[in-house]
Amino acid sequence: MLALFYILAALSVVSALIVVSARNPINSVIALVVCFLSIAGHYILLNAQFLAMVHVIVYTGAIMVLFLFVIMLLNLNTATEPMKSLGMRVAAVTGGGLLFITLAAAIRHGVTISATNDFDPGVGLVKTVGHVLFTEFLLPFEVSSVLFLSAIVGVVMLAKKETPSPHPLSDGEGLTPAELERRR
Amino acid sequence: MRRCNNSFQAYRYTEMSVLVLLSVLGVVLLYLGLFNNRGAIAGVGIAGLLAAFVLVAADWHLESPLFNGIIQFDTYARSFSLVMIVVTVLLFLFGIDYYAKVKENVAEQYALMVFSLIGGLLICSFTNLVVLFLGIEILSIPLYILAGGKRDSFRSGEAAFKYFLQGSFASGFLLMGLALIYGATASFDLAAIEAFSTALVGGQDMIFLLGLFLTIAGVAFKVAAVPFHFWSPDVYEGAPTLITAFMSTVVKTAAFAAFYRLIANLQLPGAVETMLVVMTICTLFLGNIVALRQTQFKRLMAYSSIAHTGFLLLAFLGTDARTPEVLFYYLGTYAMATVGLFIVLTLAKRAALGDENIRIFRGLFQSNPWIAVATLLMLLSLAGIPLTAGFVAKYRVFVISLTQGYLWTTVVAVVMAIVGIYYYILVVREAFTAQEQESKPIVVAPLNWLVISICGAAVVVLGVMPGLLRM
Repeated sequence: MLALFYILAALSVVSALIVVSARNPINSVIALVVCFLSIAGHYILLNAQFLAMVHVIVYTGAIMVLFLFVIMLLNLNTATEPMKSLGMRVAAVTGGGLLFITLAAAIRHGVTISATNDFDPGVGLVKTVGHVLFTEFLLPFEVSSVLFLSAIVGVVMLAKKETPSPHPLSDGEGLTPAELERRR
Repeated sequence: MRRCNNSFQAYRYTEMSVLVLLSVLGVVLLYLGLFNNRGAIAGVGIAGLLAAFVLVAADWHLESPLFNGIIQFDTYARSFSLVMIVVTVLLFLFGIDYYAKVKENVAEQYALMVFSLIGGLLICSFTNLVVLFLGIEILSIPLYILAGGKRDSFRSGEAAFKYFLQGSFASGFLLMGLALIYGATASFDLAAIEAFSTALVGGQDMIFLLGLFLTIAGVAFKVAAVPFHFWSPDVYEGAPTLITAFMSTVVKTAAFAAFYRLIANLQLPGAVETMLVVMTICTLFLGNIVALRQTQFKRLMAYSSIAHTGFLLLAFLGTDARTPEVLFYYLGTYAMATVGLFIVLTLAKRAALGDENIRIFRGLFQSNPWIAVATLLMLLSLAGIPLTAGFVAKYRVFVISLTQGYLWTTVVAVVMAIVGIYYYILVVREAFTAQEQESKPIVVAPLNWLVISICGAAVVVLGVMPGLLRM
């Protein structure tokens, strides 16, 4: 079991590194799929079947396919990768490095990983998750429907083809000359 | 599972019905749009919001936790909810004229504002971090879309995209922070986390500390505190003005209510206190100093909004029992002044054919003396001139921070408040300067006139009688 954990852990770390270092976006996405699958493996090791399944279906299935489509439609490849200015790079490295140092320091100091509760092998079963979802966390569960509804409305609103109106106040407040220029 | 057994006895329909009512209202508005009842949308929206107002106000002082202690609709939550609902009503009244010539997606925009409001109500009543995260997402996702509401305008699209990307990043920080807090305390329950932080006093738990840092960073993004403010000027400028007004009032109120609810009873470690102080000083400095150089009114308002975030954060420092009251008063009066000003801006922008430079206010006093006076009052309130509500609000914040012993931070804030007067007066000067050449007159529809008058009168009345706006 422990050997399996180390194999999966190594796989997730290595594939995550490939995601950020690969030159070709397609390789990145494939590595990300591997990363997600290995994380799903971790969930199964913890007996969290429900989470593992959802993770595979949602992330590996839906989101990764979406990523592939975006890459395909935008026709991304190494040649079209925008060059960042030196200042941006320095700022990004400094910012990311500082966050990394903080995280590393936090883990080096005083992190004594001790279980607050005993591990309950039943915690990740579909039955348990469903029970908690419909009793203790009923409100978050129900209210997330508002979130999804607004996302759906938004997608329809943004994707719908619109006929430009000739009226100057067709957007409620008037367009700047530059925007009018752009519209033509 | 604390209150699982008696939750059904304790459950009163009126307490939760406001969330149900608003969700249904949003769907009804969508249907009205579907069946081309253009005229009815705003009216139904306002009626629904007023009903929600009554429902929230009906159970004043009822404090029972709901849904196994996941949210608590207490006086604190109710007060901020009422402010948000009232401001949304004012914005809907403005919307009648704003959307009059808009052909498509009007119902969707109203509905999304209502959905966003639901998120706002959730995050000012949360007692469980799951609801905090979910509420912030419900608040934000409609806004990402609304910011891109002007389909003809590339700036609007840019605003939506920037807001979305940076908002997703902030959500990432927030989630990471919440996960770390959960890791340290083994609970999402606010009371349990507060108990943990009290037990921790004097000790150190790096995971908890890091979790707090990241969580506060995520929430600070929503209130546009420096250095998490980068989105705000661009988004304010690009978004439709009605939505900009919504963001700088309702969303700001909700985010601050959530922020304070999160840290109110926590025993903050020293490092987090320092972080808040640094954030406050940076926000005060950057907001006021950069605002001095702005000529575009919407950008000016964005930086002014950042500056006001700084003053509000000042009230957070230390643990003062008066802070909720002061936050409530400050946010309520700030929202009033801001809504009115954005309406005046829209009217002037229309007359100036889409220009947003503060020059467009020139000649306002000639053509619409009362509107100009109301604009003056609202600007003076934002600047914090005595006899307006803004002065009382700032004064109360300074009193709190002084009694909490933050002398130098308060000195910085007072200096910055004085600096801030300059850029508001610049706009006042434009409004009271006569126009040299003839141009399109600024047309004020009766409803807009009404809303501007309400806002203008409110800042003076509340400034003279601050006791009227109490929790």
